[in-house]
Amino acid sequence: MTRIIVTTSGKGGVGKTTVSANLGMALAKLGRQVALVDADFGLRNLDLLLGLENRIVYTAVEVLARECRLDQALVKDKRQPNLVLLPAAQNRSKDAVTPDQMKLLVNALAKKYQYILIDSPAGIEMGFKNAIAPAKEALIVTTPEISAVRDADRVVGLLEAQGVNKIHLIINRIRPAMVQANDMMSVQDVQELLAIPLIGVIPDDERVIVSTNRGEPLVLSDTPSIAALAFENIARRLEGQTVEFLELDSPNDNIFSRLRKLLWTKIV
Amino acid sequence: MNSDHLSLSPVTCHLSPVPYFQLRMNSDSTNSSNDFQQDSNSQLPGGKSISKQADVEENIAKTASILADSTDDTDSNSIIPNADLNSVLLYLQANAVSTNAEYNSNLSDVSNNELGLLEEKINHKIQVQLKTEEGRLLLILPTESQVPGSEISWSEIWQQMKQRLNGSDRLRIPNTIVHLVAQDRLLDSRQLQQLEETLNEVQLQLKSVATSRRQTAIAACTLGYSVEQIQLQISFTTDLQATPKALADALYLEMTVRSGGEIRHPGTVIILGDINPGGIVVADGDILVWGRLRGVAHAGATGNRECIIMALQMEPTQLRIADAVARAPEKSLRQFSPEVAYITSQGIRISKAADFSRNQLSKINQSL
Repeated sequence: MTRIIVTTSGKGGVGKTTVSANLGMALAKLGRQVALVDADFGLRNLDLLLGLENRIVYTAVEVLARECRLDQALVKDKRQPNLVLLPAAQNRSKDAVTPDQMKLLVNALAKKYQYILIDSPAGIEMGFKNAIAPAKEALIVTTPEISAVRDADRVVGLLEAQGVNKIHLIINRIRPAMVQANDMMSVQDVQELLAIPLIGVIPDDERVIVSTNRGEPLVLSDTPSIAALAFENIARRLEGQTVEFLELDSPNDNIFSRLRKLLWTKIV
Repeated sequence: MNSDHLSLSPVTCHLSPVPYFQLRMNSDSTNSSNDFQQDSNSQLPGGKSISKQADVEENIAKTASILADSTDDTDSNSIIPNADLNSVLLYLQANAVSTNAEYNSNLSDVSNNELGLLEEKINHKIQVQLKTEEGRLLLILPTESQVPGSEISWSEIWQQMKQRLNGSDRLRIPNTIVHLVAQDRLLDSRQLQQLEETLNEVQLQLKSVATSRRQTAIAACTLGYSVEQIQLQISFTTDLQATPKALADALYLEMTVRSGGEIRHPGTVIILGDINPGGIVVADGDILVWGRLRGVAHAGATGNRECIIMALQMEPTQLRIADAVARAPEKSLRQFSPEVAYITSQGIRISKAADFSRNQLSKINQSL
């Protein structure tokens, strides 16, 4: 049974695409056949984060217009053969596809891949509707900010109305030191508001920015980072394993000591 | 929608294994080497030919072998479903140049209905055109069969028109008279007024409307334009394929093609400005970029392998000439000089403009 999961948030810039890219890679590393579908027509980014921009020849729009076959549009990642990307068109608007066409595409992919991750655009308009139409499950990405949480709450409501009931929460870009100082919403605060099961907490990490700009998902990096570990844990939880949450709420220096410990174990 | 169309084949992606090619022609020691990764002969949207090069990729090679066998052969190994096979055949038929005689026997059973569908697909690429014919400035809209009429396509046409108008702003003589060739496109008075206002903004005057639609003619009449009733040419698809169209006049644009921007033209395109990453220029002829080329450029989109791409600063995401594709190298160069990309038997190559004009142009001319 193929799992069709949409990554969405309502608010923009909270890390939907970063989560999609890293989670896709993490699942592929676990040996799963993964297809990433970029549903952000007109403002596509997923290809950049994966470093696959210059390999795109056909996009989903061309497949739907019958100008190429679906497998011609799929871009394979040379670093991780288990993962493919179905790119969105950059020169069209969100109205270029319909929810029914998205279903058609995803259902065709479902015959071959075990996981289909759909990267939703921000907002709740046509692009969002397209992205959630084929989905069976959803991952809500939010940052510990009032605005992001409010938008996430709205999106959870819309997803439930659409019949997507398996919804999990990812809290991105948390800064334990600020939470400690009571300057930032804590994981508990967010969870209390949204009341959906938590599947992962990703700490704020500068290396995410570096990996994004280089087009190399953090999960593929040789040097371990807490953020990459968090993504891998989410992948394992999706697989049904019980994995302890990382202790991020502990004091700031603990992160560095943890990182150092990780590095040492790698070297020794 | 046909489900066959979307079925997956065992061969997943045509862009996977990538051989490296030295692209600079002149390998004198001063030239830093610039490897372009060559994805040769992936079939392209516009590049309507299947070439017979030695380094064809696996799936293309298979395509050819299936074509050679039989159209009815749809065993589990065949990578193209029957429906798609037909489209490949159609596509071969449409391009008599690249079709080998041995395949012709398979082409006869293609129905005319499907040909019509294919025709639509090709025409879909047509954008708004602004051209001078016998001293008259014509604004030509795509026909409804080329871009089906709807609110979305109108806004798309609208944007294209503004882009074209702004792109040639400097050279336009104020108060020039424009003739709108609306073809069979349905335009109401609101849309016509919108058009006039936009044209007025760039100091152009809309004078006449040529249309084959009654409603458009009436709307134009009430607004006070002179109306020319035209008979839309019913083009038989077979005629179009038999007589290849001549290339359109070169399109000269002074603009930056930004991410998401798309310029399509059935002739040579000259851009005075940059093509940013995410922007694409598709031309049936050559592409000349007086600026930085950082997006995608596709020259010879209808299959002309003689076409070239020229840029002052060549840092493309992808280069395509006819049916060949090349990716940019992972490492970018520090220094740039004007360069020319052209096709060779090994795929797309790039050489410095100075060397190219001396050596290659004469070579190309000799081979013609």
